[in-house]
Amino acid sequence: MNYMHSNKNIFIQGAISPEHIADSIAKHQSKYDIGAHGIFLGQVRGDNIGERKVAAIQYSSYEDMAMGKIGVVRETIFAKYPLICMHIYHSLGIVKSGEICLFVFTSSAHRKPAIEACEEMVELIKKEIPIWGKEIFEDDTHQWKKNK
Amino acid sequence: MQATIKMFGKLTEITSASSVMIDDVKDTDEVISILQQRYPGLMQLQYIIAVDKEIIHNNTILTDHSIIALLPPYSGG
Repeated sequence: MNYMHSNKNIFIQGAISPEHIADSIAKHQSKYDIGAHGIFLGQVRGDNIGERKVAAIQYSSYEDMAMGKIGVVRETIFAKYPLICMHIYHSLGIVKSGEICLFVFTSSAHRKPAIEACEEMVELIKKEIPIWGKEIFEDDTHQWKKNK
Repeated sequence: MQATIKMFGKLTEITSASSVMIDDVKDTDEVISILQQRYPGLMQLQYIIAVDKEIIHNNTILTDHSIIALLPPYSGG
């Protein structure tokens, strides 16, 4: 059985709380066909760039397009891996250094599909989803984030 | 026909707005040419173009109420 919900909104205003992550894990305890979870958490780094230190990242998105693309990417991943379910959350707005901005959560009967699908989904989110991060420095200047 | 152009990321700093309207345009090449005249800073920036939420790779004829978006390189995650 699979619990895919393809049109669910992935965006959360502000940081993703550790409580939200714990609740998500707890919700899966009644799904007895699951034997493994893959979890990726993206955290905002307080990078030092020259004299300046990153205090936060402000995320924005072309949300209408992002939701459509997420649906397509989800279908690709579900077609490739025998997943039982997958949940994706990405922050919008301000996320301070040290806080969580991306949460990808895959579940399957055995470990490999959960781990591999989770990793591939993170890569696809960075590459295919129209989201932008603006790094805000402690002195209130900024630069636009570039993904490596 | 009138086109709405949505701007994202760094591009919003060039236009000082999240969307721009242009009257009497027929295709995306014309839109870009008008935008470059209006905002010369655009020529220095990297972006791709989406029409009605689909990325295009060639000049595209616009229909009524087409929504064009200029998307700088993504940096989510």
